[in-house]
Amino acid sequence: MSVFSDYKKEIMDAAHSDRIRLAISRATLSYRNNIDEALKRFPQTIEVAKEVREIKKNSIANMKNLAEQACESVEYNKGKAYIANTAQECLNIVDKLVGTGKLIVKGKSMTGEEIELREHLEHQGNEVYETDLGEFIIQKLGSRPMHILAPAIHVLKEEVARLFTDLTGKKHPPEDIPNMVATARELLRDKYIRADIGMSGANVFAADTGTMFIIENEGNIRLSTALPPVHIAIIGMEKLVPTLHDAYKVSEVTWRYANYSVPSYVSLISSPSKTGDIEKVTTFGAHGPRELHVIFLDDGRSELAKDPILSQTLHCLRCGGCLYECPVYALTAGHFGDKYFAANGAVWAATISKNPEKAAAIAYTCLTCGRCKIRCPMAIDGPAMSIEVRRQVTQGK
Amino acid sequence: MDKKDLVPPGLSYLADNVRLKGNILGVSKQDGATWAKRLNLPKKKETIFFAGCGYQFGSKLESLMGLIRKMDKSAIGAERAMELAGFQRKIGLDAGGVLLKVMGEGGEEGSVLTDTVKILRKLGIDFGYLAEEEPCCGGILHYAGLRNEFVEHARRVDAELKSKGIKQIIGIVPSCTYTLKKLMAETNGGVDFKVKHFCEIVAEKLQSLKLRFPQKVKVTYHDPCQLGRYLGLVDEPRKILKAIENVELVETKWTKAEYATCCGGGGGFEAVFPEMSEMLAVIRTKELLETGAHIIVTHCPGCIMQLETGLKALKTENVEVLDLAQVVAMSMES
Repeated sequence: MSVFSDYKKEIMDAAHSDRIRLAISRATLSYRNNIDEALKRFPQTIEVAKEVREIKKNSIANMKNLAEQACESVEYNKGKAYIANTAQECLNIVDKLVGTGKLIVKGKSMTGEEIELREHLEHQGNEVYETDLGEFIIQKLGSRPMHILAPAIHVLKEEVARLFTDLTGKKHPPEDIPNMVATARELLRDKYIRADIGMSGANVFAADTGTMFIIENEGNIRLSTALPPVHIAIIGMEKLVPTLHDAYKVSEVTWRYANYSVPSYVSLISSPSKTGDIEKVTTFGAHGPRELHVIFLDDGRSELAKDPILSQTLHCLRCGGCLYECPVYALTAGHFGDKYFAANGAVWAATISKNPEKAAAIAYTCLTCGRCKIRCPMAIDGPAMSIEVRRQVTQGK
Repeated sequence: MDKKDLVPPGLSYLADNVRLKGNILGVSKQDGATWAKRLNLPKKKETIFFAGCGYQFGSKLESLMGLIRKMDKSAIGAERAMELAGFQRKIGLDAGGVLLKVMGEGGEEGSVLTDTVKILRKLGIDFGYLAEEEPCCGGILHYAGLRNEFVEHARRVDAELKSKGIKQIIGIVPSCTYTLKKLMAETNGGVDFKVKHFCEIVAEKLQSLKLRFPQKVKVTYHDPCQLGRYLGLVDEPRKILKAIENVELVETKWTKAEYATCCGGGGGFEAVFPEMSEMLAVIRTKELLETGAHIIVTHCPGCIMQLETGLKALKTENVEVLDLAQVVAMSMES
């Protein structure tokens, strides 16, 4: 069977699943109500988004320089900075820092997904805990994320209840969602304290100050990046912007379109934890991590940045708004993609994963209807990217 | 795997038709032009009406799609269906021709194209129609990813239109109109002709028409992707509908104008995923039916086909799908 017929079978099975359709339609309705309200409360977001488009465009064009500047800033702040050209290089750096037999707590990260970080760490003999609730559910179910922000979007509460009943031996009724949330909290609580290493990604990174912005609601990333003695952050180079002010604007637009209106937490992390309280002698490792390692991942991004059409995918803030507008995604969830979804997934498969057959399969599943572009705060042209992927995989660059 | 094999069979079938027969269905061009036989439209004019494949071959496309969908759901699979179509063509059996006999000739009163002509004449527009000499816009080549073929096709079409001295084109199919207006100009580094969509012209000259629908009716409007999002024409159709006496426009809450949901027939999708395309048609039709409208108005042959499929699947009676041009024409008569 060809890649296409395998994929078509997978995607049609998904399309026939009432469960997926129900789950996504609930999520979409809630998203539309929330974004509508958020934009009414904070109407300036639309103007800020236009500014952010320019910031992203210039940053992507200048990505390599920004990465070097960011490394200098991190080192200036007494962190350690690295540039990984490939996924393998990134994993090698991680291996040197982590080794084996460690307990690791991890925040949700698309860049981590991209390089299959958790699988790799486990393979090296480490115990890894996904701490984001959705990601935790996915990890325990042995499933894969179906949305960039809401990884367990396709899982119904009944399935979560069954999972938690199995994990704890205690009955979890599906209607008692607070009880399931409490169970996750209880299961993970001591892992943060015992962990040797905390790992995260970041939503934006300011090159001038060396500051990463992490947006979240649960508080799991705060704990993962604050309690263990070592924090390793793996950040895709496309997350870099020149200044702290730019980073703030990018963050605000990201969380607003990500269905967060106002997020519970935004962490700004620039250096290892330190104190000068005893005779002004700077000492590292006060209450937070003693070590901070920041790895900037290229993995094909600087090559992709040169493509006049496909480079748009690097402007993506990963808010996930487009997915709620995609009619095919509404039927198939993350089966329409490969790590990233819909048109972005097609670009990723073609250029980063270098899998033309998978890329073609995803690209030809796009309706080219263009509603994603209307929703996108960066006005990323999904149809244009899908059509360009079709062209590149069938006719060459 | 050969790169070319990555184009799904459904799309290469349509693309081959464009390249070899000059229309997406691979039927003879005379068949497409029959609708205009009795209208006496001149061929030589600076302004031409561009009818496009969709409306001219619509009925045939519909039966072909019906066939493909049945096969997609069965064990045979749509890829095989497309191979069969290729085989039919090879042995000289014109699939479109066979279907034409089944569906009957177009061009009867009340068809979208004759209505469009009637309205343009009423508005005092002086225009011609190229009939069997009308080239295919070739948009499907671009959407299929066959850029090289599209570039070549676009050059040929541009030269043809230039040799005929055409200065202005009135489009009706959203996708053809977008291809002629935007893609051709981008590809050829500018073109000599201007392109306007029919609904822009009607909206501009709306005052000169007195429009009254035969009876009081609730209508909803479905924005075709290429008309609304690609060409940005979301206000014009609404302006026209609102100007018609007896018509009450009722709309969906979230999925209207630039946020309209695709009918599931976009960019050749229906030829690659026939079954999912039908599912999407049903979803969109349901959204539109929730408005309580008696008529679903849209302005694209592909959308009409999809929404009718949706109505049929939902076994909805007393609701019909009409093209905006049909609604306007019906409102002129009374």
